Amino acid sequence: MDEDHRNDEGSPENHRTPKKRRLSGFISESEIREEFSHHQAGVARINNGSFGSCPRSVLAAQNKWQLRFLQQPDDFFYNTLQKAILESRTLIKDLIHADDVNDVSLVDNATTAAAIILQRIGRRFVQGKFQKNDTVIMFDSAFPAVKKSIQAYVIPAGGSLVEVRLPFPVHSNEEIITEFKKGLERGKANGGRVRLAILDHITSMPSIVLPVRELIKICREQGVDQVFVDGAHAIGSLHIDVNEIGADFYVSNLYKWFFSPPSVAFLHCKNSSAIFDLHHPVVSHEYGNGLPIESAWVGARDYSPQLVVPSILNFVNRFEGGIEGIMKRNHEEVVKMGSMLAESWATNLGSPPEMCASMIMVGLPSRLGVTSDEDALRLRSYLRDYHGIEVPIYYQALRNGESNSKDKDGYITGYVRISHQVYNSAEDYHKLKSAINHLLDDGKICKMLPKE
Amino acid sequence: MASNNHHHNHKNDDNHLNGDSSVSHVPKKPKLGSFITDSEIQSEFAHHDPAVARINNGSFGCCPASVIAAQQKWQMKNLRQPDHFYFNELKKGILHSRTVIKEIINADHVDEISIVDNATTAAAIVLQQTAWAFQEGKFQKGDAVVMLHYAYGSVKKSMEAYVTRAGGKVIEVQLPFPVNSNEEIISEFRRALERGKTDGSRVRLAVIDHVTSMPSVVIPVRDLVKICREEGVDQVFVDAAHAIGCIDVDVKEIGADFYTTNLHKWFFCPPSVAVLYSRKSPSCSELHHPVVSHEYGNGLATESAWIGTRDYSAQLVVPEVLEFVSRFEGGIEGIKKRNHEAVVEMGRMLATAWGTHLGSPPDMCASMVMVGLPTCLGISSDSDALNLRAHLRDDFGVEVPIYYRPSKDGEIGLVTGYARISHQVYNKADDYYKFRDAINQLVRNKFTCALLSN
Repeated sequence: MDEDHRNDEGSPENHRTPKKRRLSGFISESEIREEFSHHQAGVARINNGSFGSCPRSVLAAQNKWQLRFLQQPDDFFYNTLQKAILESRTLIKDLIHADDVNDVSLVDNATTAAAIILQRIGRRFVQGKFQKNDTVIMFDSAFPAVKKSIQAYVIPAGGSLVEVRLPFPVHSNEEIITEFKKGLERGKANGGRVRLAILDHITSMPSIVLPVRELIKICREQGVDQVFVDGAHAIGSLHIDVNEIGADFYVSNLYKWFFSPPSVAFLHCKNSSAIFDLHHPVVSHEYGNGLPIESAWVGARDYSPQLVVPSILNFVNRFEGGIEGIMKRNHEEVVKMGSMLAESWATNLGSPPEMCASMIMVGLPSRLGVTSDEDALRLRSYLRDYHGIEVPIYYQALRNGESNSKDKDGYITGYVRISHQVYNSAEDYHKLKSAINHLLDDGKICKMLPKE
Repeated sequence: MASNNHHHNHKNDDNHLNGDSSVSHVPKKPKLGSFITDSEIQSEFAHHDPAVARINNGSFGCCPASVIAAQQKWQMKNLRQPDHFYFNELKKGILHSRTVIKEIINADHVDEISIVDNATTAAAIVLQQTAWAFQEGKFQKGDAVVMLHYAYGSVKKSMEAYVTRAGGKVIEVQLPFPVNSNEEIISEFRRALERGKTDGSRVRLAVIDHVTSMPSVVIPVRDLVKICREEGVDQVFVDAAHAIGCIDVDVKEIGADFYTTNLHKWFFCPPSVAVLYSRKSPSCSELHHPVVSHEYGNGLATESAWIGTRDYSAQLVVPEVLEFVSRFEGGIEGIKKRNHEAVVEMGRMLATAWGTHLGSPPDMCASMVMVGLPTCLGISSDSDALNLRAHLRDDFGVEVPIYYRPSKDGEIGLVTGYARISHQVYNKADDYYKFRDAINQLVRNKFTCALLSN
């Protein structure tokens, strides 16, 4: 035990770096709890999808990097930083089965990657390389920041947007593919070309796994110039092979499901030449040296989240099956818990199990009366403030011409998006189950809940 | 380095994830009515490598242990329950920091204050707006943007990326160095404005440093802004990366449209945080953060306060920094004054010891000064300067940036290398003696930079 006790004669027990596993033993339950002991006690934290989570051993590694910088920042800048970023990029390249580390850049988050890619699209329109009837296509469930980026960079430059309705609740990949094909037709209706398709690998709200490989194949068949896969949730949730997926651009956040501190994401470009045509919007002296190099220096700031990838790998390899094992167990548990909730509430899942990874949508009883985004937010705050449950709620208006979900009391318009990560236990979900059931027993609807 | 005597002062133990690698020596606060002592200052900066004479505060700044501890508190608050933090704490915290900054720099409205990562980001924001104006036809192709020749490298590249590409003409003000008076700078600036207005084009933007980086000189910005207004320059952007905590900053008095300064250089914030001030005026253009989030369109300050999930803790500790500087006699004003006096004194000491001179008169420097290096060192290129700097770091334990100043036509035997020395509260005279002695030793040993370039 003592050989792992780093220093710290005066430091309280629960701040020791957790013991590494004894050889041939995997991380134990109590070690996992210790790694996440900084999470607020008493909160059923079933929203790993929004902000992710970071174990103490990775945070400790991050602190070490931060301290090294503070000790002698010039030396760090000249002799350490670039090498360490390259090491992280190389490890990620291997994880995602990319060919060349030059194709892998590290940025803050998927939001930044979207700005990079859409700025380039905007430039093309301004330069006259794209014409006025050309379009960008995406599902209406695209992340709000991506939608705003299109408003900021594409529309003012003369491009148009085609939004494809995401079928939800969804029953099969075919439903999605059908809608997408219709959308592509609309995109080409005015004689323009579809210059960019933006596809979520795992949509945010409502959350489902899209059949990106098939969708990309269709894009190629239908003459779409380029495809950008926003895989914000992907790494640590499902298997990523960027060659096999075949997108022109692929981004994923490491701090959601891959245990990094906030915040770092990777952006992969299929064609190596693209890295000289994409630019980080914050221009430094590295401008023109390729996106990976530009992104590795955007002025003086804390780059430590980009440096801890080796420590993350150490962490996940303490689990049986490594990251693959974690993904598999997260998926099984979230499906199990989702089904448990749907059964208890007599509602439905938003997608079949094979169309989800470590998050799943579960219908809320119609009696709760989720009739607007405000209702959803109110219910979410109520669960946080009065029940210590953190879970995002999704409101879906009834849709004409489609089969809307129903339970015995009416239409289901509200869903919870539950996540499962290694620190979760069944208790978290039972807490949610009971809280909702109590509301129903008390005859409460959303509009009756306390206002913020 | 972590002193066991201090662990009982850990206010918030849930910050300390791993004692041996965090900054754990949070010093005691002083008794009421007394100022921070020398040993308390050393304690606040005990995480600095003790083997290094750290006379380059200008590049990466510094952050005292008590501010680092405050930052870690914020980080843990977020990690503890990030949804709650996002919905209930973050915006308030950033607004508090912005309000504090508004007071310090004398802005009228907190709306005028946005917090961004660094001056590099601020430049991208301002120049992006300029580029849009060219693209929309508001500015004509060939209209000019004026900047100083000694503008920071990233600003020059930003000009290329945003202005030149959009059809604007970039004009550089040739600044003399060494410089002897404000008048030399002012007359060059006027000349550059004239060049900008040839062929009926207009000068749409002037980018003026408040304190240039390399070589470092305090620019008479108030005068230059006035000239810009007289000469019909559309907008003025002051890149004051070094300014806050180094010289006086009164944005109303300076009168620029945009003003940016890094708080992590001379204002004791952790990396990294900067303010971008944008003056409210009827004709002010819409500025946007280039990383677009769902807050797009809600004003730059709101956009900058959420650019996707990331660690905003450096932006939240500004109030704690104020607490730190208030422990010094005279607060930040006292610190600035003493830094200036000390750096001038040390600069003169070095110039005398080496038989060289200062790069500017004392009243044209703040807490940094350029000191000529002996010509026999043979600094004859930028890479010589970099190599010498590395040699001083690796073999003498001195961290100081070196500037190569090419000789101009007709000049012989002039100083071609200058060291930019900084003085911050943690520095001691010994740091500068160490540097003096290192150079003297190199001179004695007949060292030249040619020896390093193999």
